[in-house]
Amino acid sequence: MKKKLALYTGCLMSTEQYGYELSVRESLPLLDVQLVDIAGFSCCGEPLKSVNQLLTLYLSARNLAIAEKHNLDVFAPCAMCHLALSECKQVLQNNPDMKTRINEMLAAEELTFEGNGEIVHTVDLLHDHIGIEEIAKHVKKPLKGLKFATHYGCHLIRPSEIGRPDDSEHPVKIEAIISVLGAETAKYPEKLDCCGGILQINLDESALTKSGQKLKAVQNQGFDGLVDVCPWCHKMFDARQVKAGETVAAKLNVPVFYLTQLLGLAFGVKKEKLGLDFNISPVDKLEIG
Amino acid sequence: MSITDLTSMGEPQVELKKEINDRLSKLQDEVSDYCYQCAKCTSGCEAHKLLELEPHKIVALLKQGLIDEMVNSDIIWTCMSCFKCRERCPQKIAPVEILFALKNLAVAGGKQVPGKYTSVLQSVLSIGLIQDAQSVTTKDMKTKTRDDLGLPPLSKPDDPAKFQAGLMKIAVEKV
Repeated sequence: MKKKLALYTGCLMSTEQYGYELSVRESLPLLDVQLVDIAGFSCCGEPLKSVNQLLTLYLSARNLAIAEKHNLDVFAPCAMCHLALSECKQVLQNNPDMKTRINEMLAAEELTFEGNGEIVHTVDLLHDHIGIEEIAKHVKKPLKGLKFATHYGCHLIRPSEIGRPDDSEHPVKIEAIISVLGAETAKYPEKLDCCGGILQINLDESALTKSGQKLKAVQNQGFDGLVDVCPWCHKMFDARQVKAGETVAAKLNVPVFYLTQLLGLAFGVKKEKLGLDFNISPVDKLEIG
Repeated sequence: MSITDLTSMGEPQVELKKEINDRLSKLQDEVSDYCYQCAKCTSGCEAHKLLELEPHKIVALLKQGLIDEMVNSDIIWTCMSCFKCRERCPQKIAPVEILFALKNLAVAGGKQVPGKYTSVLQSVLSIGLIQDAQSVTTKDMKTKTRDDLGLPPLSKPDDPAKFQAGLMKIAVEKV
């Protein structure tokens, strides 16, 4: 059964985290997901929630309205975007006055938000919609002998009131996916720790400290690598790993992958096609792909 | 009316201030009876150890109506929005949402916005995204653009004037 989804590319993935976008576009069609590109999307507004929450609500509603215009459900690979869009849908469904007000503003672009569409993220798309059994059928090169730490990202699992892709305290879906790809995972005390990503905007050193502390813990516990599903978290752990290490006085050497990169590797896709050249962390030391 | 209405943090926005104040009074009325200062929020707060944010004290200060004091403090900008406080509160109070309202109020009141928030906002207002597509360098120092990688054109508002017209209504409404 083919699943057709609007790919909501957001800001960070589509402007610099090309490894995520490439691996999403390469691996998901192998699972019969058809990704549709739509022009005209904007930022989801989440990074500006501290500045003006109405702006966040407006921007998210605008993006959902664009997808609705094409009669498509939305696939948001970024955890932050996924939260903003999901929260917007929930707020506007429960607050008709606000919905009317937002729609009056959206009229400037001839858009209307109805709130009929579904919003999925990489994790629930893979685990709940496609399913572990289906993924298993496509594994050609199992990732044997590797043990990964998982990082879900705060925005992906909280607040559960809004409806998130996995449990807020005991998320297990990424583990289930990695396990079917042939690799191992293990619990570790820092699993739910934040990457600090949003603080890059105003307290960068603290952001780096948060990421550095988590990477240090992952490294000390003997994991072969860290797996994430959000461009903000990934930027902190991968591109900024050296700096994060300097901030916490540690020499960090942790390979960091997007889940969709591991998926593609296990499916036998060539690593160049999965954007692994853009992972700044030492992913090559694992010799996969 | 120009786009600077949204970006000029220097000009106090009276209507906006009123609306956020109403939101905070509502939060104040709702939380004052329920928070019993168990500090579960603070025990799990990602910004606590590092930056000394204490969400239970934010709730207590709101209860006492010390809003201006918080709006004028840098502490409200240390929240990482991990949502653990909202998730774990046994009384369903959401300190993280109080902090968002306080920060919104600080911005609306013309307080200096910290760090890169102003430039992020300006970028979203002008091109619709927090930044335009970057050329990214691979490990072996090759520079690649979206086009080089065979990625489709960046999805962003195709008519910036129309996009801004929508945003402008937020400024006009002063909300």
